[in-house]
Amino acid sequence: MALIEVNNVSKDFLVYKRKRGFLNSLKSLIIRDFEIKNAAKDINFSIDRGELVGYIGANGAGKSTTIKMLSGILTPTEGNITVDGRIPYQDRKENALRMGVVFGQRSHLFWDLPMVDTFDLYKKMYKIDDITFKHNLEFFIELLEMKEFLNRPVRQLSLGQKMRANLAIAFLHDPEIVYLDEPTIGLDVLVKSKIRRFIKEVNREKKTTLILTTHDMDDIEEICNRLIMIDEGKILYDGSLTNFKTQFGNEYVLTIDFAEENIKITDSRFQLVKDQGKRKSFSIKRSVINPSEAITLIVRQHDITDIKINEVKVEDIVKNLYMEGFYGK
Amino acid sequence: MEYVGLYCQFIQIKLKSMVEYRGAFLMNFFAKSIVFSTEFILIWIMIYQFQNIAGWGQYEVMLLHALNIGSYSLAGFFLFHPFTKLGQHIQSGDFDEVLTRPLNPFFYLISREFSTGYFANVVVAFSIFVFCIHILEIRLQGLDILFLLITILGATLIQGAAFIISGTVAFWIVQNKFLMEFFMFQTRGFIKYPISAYNKVIQIILTFIIPYAFINF
Repeated sequence: MALIEVNNVSKDFLVYKRKRGFLNSLKSLIIRDFEIKNAAKDINFSIDRGELVGYIGANGAGKSTTIKMLSGILTPTEGNITVDGRIPYQDRKENALRMGVVFGQRSHLFWDLPMVDTFDLYKKMYKIDDITFKHNLEFFIELLEMKEFLNRPVRQLSLGQKMRANLAIAFLHDPEIVYLDEPTIGLDVLVKSKIRRFIKEVNREKKTTLILTTHDMDDIEEICNRLIMIDEGKILYDGSLTNFKTQFGNEYVLTIDFAEENIKITDSRFQLVKDQGKRKSFSIKRSVINPSEAITLIVRQHDITDIKINEVKVEDIVKNLYMEGFYGK
Repeated sequence: MEYVGLYCQFIQIKLKSMVEYRGAFLMNFFAKSIVFSTEFILIWIMIYQFQNIAGWGQYEVMLLHALNIGSYSLAGFFLFHPFTKLGQHIQSGDFDEVLTRPLNPFFYLISREFSTGYFANVVVAFSIFVFCIHILEIRLQGLDILFLLITILGATLIQGAAFIISGTVAFWIVQNKFLMEFFMFQTRGFIKYPISAYNKVIQIILTFIIPYAFINF
């Protein structure tokens, strides 16, 4: 059985309809029309032990709602969730003992104290035995390069340093599953790469299952082997990252420096996207004509000085999907 | 019981944080001492003018008020922050974090938000209490002391219940400031003076509906 099973899960919120105008606001004190907002609609997926899952979607798509249901904060309106055989919102405490959470926008550290004090507290809170605690702490401090700011009060730390400490806390008790809600938000490139390395390393060492929500597609590309995409509460894609790229990103961009000016390519399979005189860029569908064929075709007819192939990045695919809608294409 | 060790750890952390800001702690202590002492001085001056309130003299009323402040502060140590801020925490989503811990949420909340700001209140209330007992020449014998301790315990529980009741309403209506204000500050203002000074309706309300009268009367 899979570690996490989510079957036909929906979550509705009752919100009251706000109408424009001051008088209508006053009226709503007495009479309110409620409407149901579906934050999640009939969600199904299952995740195996040790998977690294990227969970993406635009703001307000229902990512956090799902994470909150998995971590036992919210109860689903319909459907059922089991995490390692437990129902998270019923066995909340048991479930919490075996999971770690990081909310990128919040910190769990004590502001005025060095992070080691917080570590000690979590040791007690999660009943971590001395050997595991010592071993994990050393491992994390080394991996996240935290030694130099270990004894400084948290209020003096930078955002990146705090985030590293928060990550360490989430993994301290050897949880089976860790939910990371935007762990790289607002961090610089260097810290981001440290965090990614850490996540991959821990997953490899301890077989921790990870669900990661993010808006940074590089996170996904570097860390995850599986992608779940959600929009308006519905799952739009669930599968491997490679498959995602071939399914939705079957275009590539060919940039060619021609030897002469005023070259016209009449072939309709080559779609001109950028014209800079001698340098021209074409968007080409991989399913129609593959890069080597395309290059051969061009070279046979024209003199060229340089050529470059750009793969479409996950970020661009996702951007297109957000803008056009999934079935809009 | 497994929580006791953890609770001590939390309190240790809070005290450590407090020590970080020694200046702020001392200022807070000083300011609060003055505020509460002024309250007692006001009572003293007022009754000095009127001779007595419903047959109660200056030091007797001050004694009652010391019980009120004392029990309020004892409850406040544990419950003031968790429950006055509960509305805010729910509103901002901070409350979610409470539910991601493998602990009882009530316990986690009161440990995490232990307040270190009540030392001044307790010290002032205790000093005034001892002072009044001395002036009034009350002799406390064995059973009296037991009765007094039980009274203080009961009073603290009533004050604590008021914190919790007005706080938890936030789960339904989110904003709980006004209720807090009403319960903790306005209504409680009545028991500054002996209940017998008020008319029947207020006496009944304060005895049966919001049982603040039991705190010190």
